[in-house]
Amino acid sequence: MEVKKSNPGNTKRFSGLRHFFSGIPASGWLLAAFAAVLLEFYVGDPLTEILGLPKIPALFGIVIILKKPHLIPGAFAYVGLIYLLPIIIVAKITAPATNWVSEKLDRMPLWFSAILHLVLLYFVLEIWTDISDYRLLMLKLTLIAIMITLSLNIINGYMGEFSCSHPGFIALGAYVASVFTVGLFVNDRLLGHALLPQALGQFLFPIGLILGGLVAAVGALIVAIPSFRTRGDYLAIISLAFMFIVKSLIENLEVVGGPRGLGGQPDWATLPTVFVWAVLCVWTINNFVESTMGKALNAVRDEESAADAMTVNTRKTKMIAFMFGAFWAGVGGGLFAHVLRYVNPGTFGIKKLAEVLAMVYFGGLNSVFGSIVGAVSFNLLSEALRPLEIFKWIIIPVLLILVMIYRPTGLIAFKHFNVKKILRPRPGSKERV
Amino acid sequence: MKKGFIVVLALLVMCGLSFSAPVTSEAKTLTIGLNVPMTGDIPKVGESSKHAAQMWLEDIKAAGGLKVGGKTYKVALDIEDNESKADSAVSVATKMITQDDVLAIVGPQSSKQAVPAGEVCNNYKTPMISPWSTNPATTDNRPYVFRGCFLDSFQGPVMAKFVTGEYGFKKAAVLYDVASDYPKGLAEFFKKAWEKMHGAGSVVAFESFTTKDTDFSSQLSKIIKSGAQFLFLPQYYNEVPLIVQQAHALGWKNPIVGSDSWGSPETVKLCGKDCYGSFFCTHYAAAGAKGATKAFIDRYTKKYKEVPDDVAALTWDSLHIIQKGIESCAKLTGKVKKDREALRNAIAKIKDFKGITGNMTFTENGDPIKCAVIVKISDKGEYKFYKSVCP
Repeated sequence: MEVKKSNPGNTKRFSGLRHFFSGIPASGWLLAAFAAVLLEFYVGDPLTEILGLPKIPALFGIVIILKKPHLIPGAFAYVGLIYLLPIIIVAKITAPATNWVSEKLDRMPLWFSAILHLVLLYFVLEIWTDISDYRLLMLKLTLIAIMITLSLNIINGYMGEFSCSHPGFIALGAYVASVFTVGLFVNDRLLGHALLPQALGQFLFPIGLILGGLVAAVGALIVAIPSFRTRGDYLAIISLAFMFIVKSLIENLEVVGGPRGLGGQPDWATLPTVFVWAVLCVWTINNFVESTMGKALNAVRDEESAADAMTVNTRKTKMIAFMFGAFWAGVGGGLFAHVLRYVNPGTFGIKKLAEVLAMVYFGGLNSVFGSIVGAVSFNLLSEALRPLEIFKWIIIPVLLILVMIYRPTGLIAFKHFNVKKILRPRPGSKERV
Repeated sequence: MKKGFIVVLALLVMCGLSFSAPVTSEAKTLTIGLNVPMTGDIPKVGESSKHAAQMWLEDIKAAGGLKVGGKTYKVALDIEDNESKADSAVSVATKMITQDDVLAIVGPQSSKQAVPAGEVCNNYKTPMISPWSTNPATTDNRPYVFRGCFLDSFQGPVMAKFVTGEYGFKKAAVLYDVASDYPKGLAEFFKKAWEKMHGAGSVVAFESFTTKDTDFSSQLSKIIKSGAQFLFLPQYYNEVPLIVQQAHALGWKNPIVGSDSWGSPETVKLCGKDCYGSFFCTHYAAAGAKGATKAFIDRYTKKYKEVPDDVAALTWDSLHIIQKGIESCAKLTGKVKKDREALRNAIAKIKDFKGITGNMTFTENGDPIKCAVIVKISDKGEYKFYKSVCP
């Protein structure tokens, strides 16, 4: 990033830099990242001492930038020595080897290659989060934010409607999953004794999450039946009403604690669990939007009557997309409840809605990449700017406005997420260098 | 190209190395975390806590630090904004414990954040004191979590007993916010206590509304028709004035009594004459205070140009409990995990701590046994001490 910034407008250098990196396949980057986190794991502590840092910078130093400005050079040096330099060197050196591997993998089925890459990615994240529990928590929350952003992107991006009911779906998923785990496996004041042994719970946890997702999808159906007779502003208003209905419903349900909330969820949302669910979410949603159904969805967005004339069943298409988005929001909500190990209805209000919408529109409409970028950058930004207190809520909206002015559809909008293309070998630059 | 890039990187690294001279091992600093809402729904609460904490830090600095086992330690505050959100409160608590190596955490203030943050603190074995949270779940089964205020299960009966003794009433009315955990819990505790004293059906009106409602006429008409002799109103400073004024406009002439949520100076500012003469139950009375409480109020008022509310006073006390805990540790090892454990044990052992909001001793659950104060709003709009009720 620094290098790019130091030569703005110098397109020759810029393309040179691009060329410099173009010969490295995804597996090469992952291997390099793996090397970097291993390096941090073994020499991170001594290096922080040499650099005069109190601790290993948890999120690439962004958290300490505003709190302790005198540590910035040290944090920069740390990031350079541990991440930037090793990643570039390892990626560049191993490029021929990783290209060879990627070429071999390219000829094998895609799922095999994808799983290998994901396993490597998982190990990178596992070692990276091993350093600090704060990192682990942030990673889990970010993965969940990706799921929720992506699921809203189906509705607001691919379908082109403005739905405000997402916090309601998240709340439904969170509460259903919590009632499932707390009610069955935990001795709780509200929900009584455990009905099943706790050892079984870890394996049945996915059922609770899916149940949460399904209830959210049913909720979506309830909104969809009356509201999809309308479009635009009216859908926004009806879906907003749905969000408030869910919130009041939970507030008045004494069984799940009412406004006091429901706590004591078992600690089952571990990194592997959240990671697997996030991958499943990205994979199914990507398949969905690339399918015929997804294309039909885009057609409905662009011109509903034309799509109808071209034999697209617009009503069915919209319903399915809406329910599918709600399902993943519900699953995300279930994981969210188990990461925090407490839920209360107050969490799922207007503030949550603003946050989710900001992530979608910041990252980019109609794009899986965009949702990932939006969720990650919003979460990092939100952590980095925390010390500014009230000014944080001026800076983030201003950034959002700027994005809306210069890139009205978000940072990375309308981009295909083609797994085969991402994982392909890139030997092209070898001859050119 | 390659060269240019590497040169830039090398420069960056060199830069970093030269700027960050290795820190010499200066006197170890003890960090206390303050996990409070500086933005969000209740920024005033965060501001009061921050002010009280900064005053406390001034005192420590003036004394040159904290003395433990013959050694003097510097103290630093780590104030973080939890945005009044449950997930942010958890991230902040995790960050303070794992990144900033805090010895103890004060806050979060409201229960919706204190409950999940308490779970985090208890898991990491870090002492946490929530000055203001009244939800029993905050400290329940969590040896490392304490609180600085009395519980609603104590406050409800106190008010029921007080009204019975003061006025001799038999029929009560309650109006509360069903969507907010504090008013709802307190309303229920009050109802239970009142019916226990006066028999079932003695709460003749038990009416509710939802957060952000501004028109209460239908509920108030019902209450007036029910023949209740007084109204119990466990609401916050932004709702109390509206309700009281509307009740008077509808012809309600009986007393209205409140809870500790009335304690903010804003209540009287917004309510005016309508609230004069009302009683409420709180942690301390600003007007007519004596001794250390008066000294605190005067200093705070002079410094921040406003009378400290109950949050400020409770935060002040919570910090002093931590201070006393640290001072009564025989020695600090410098290993933060061990020190946290020692501090937790020291806090649990504190007997009759003399705070500005009353004397405190912690139960096994981490809840304090302390007295409640009944305050009367005088004809000048001051909160005058009326009576103290002890458990």
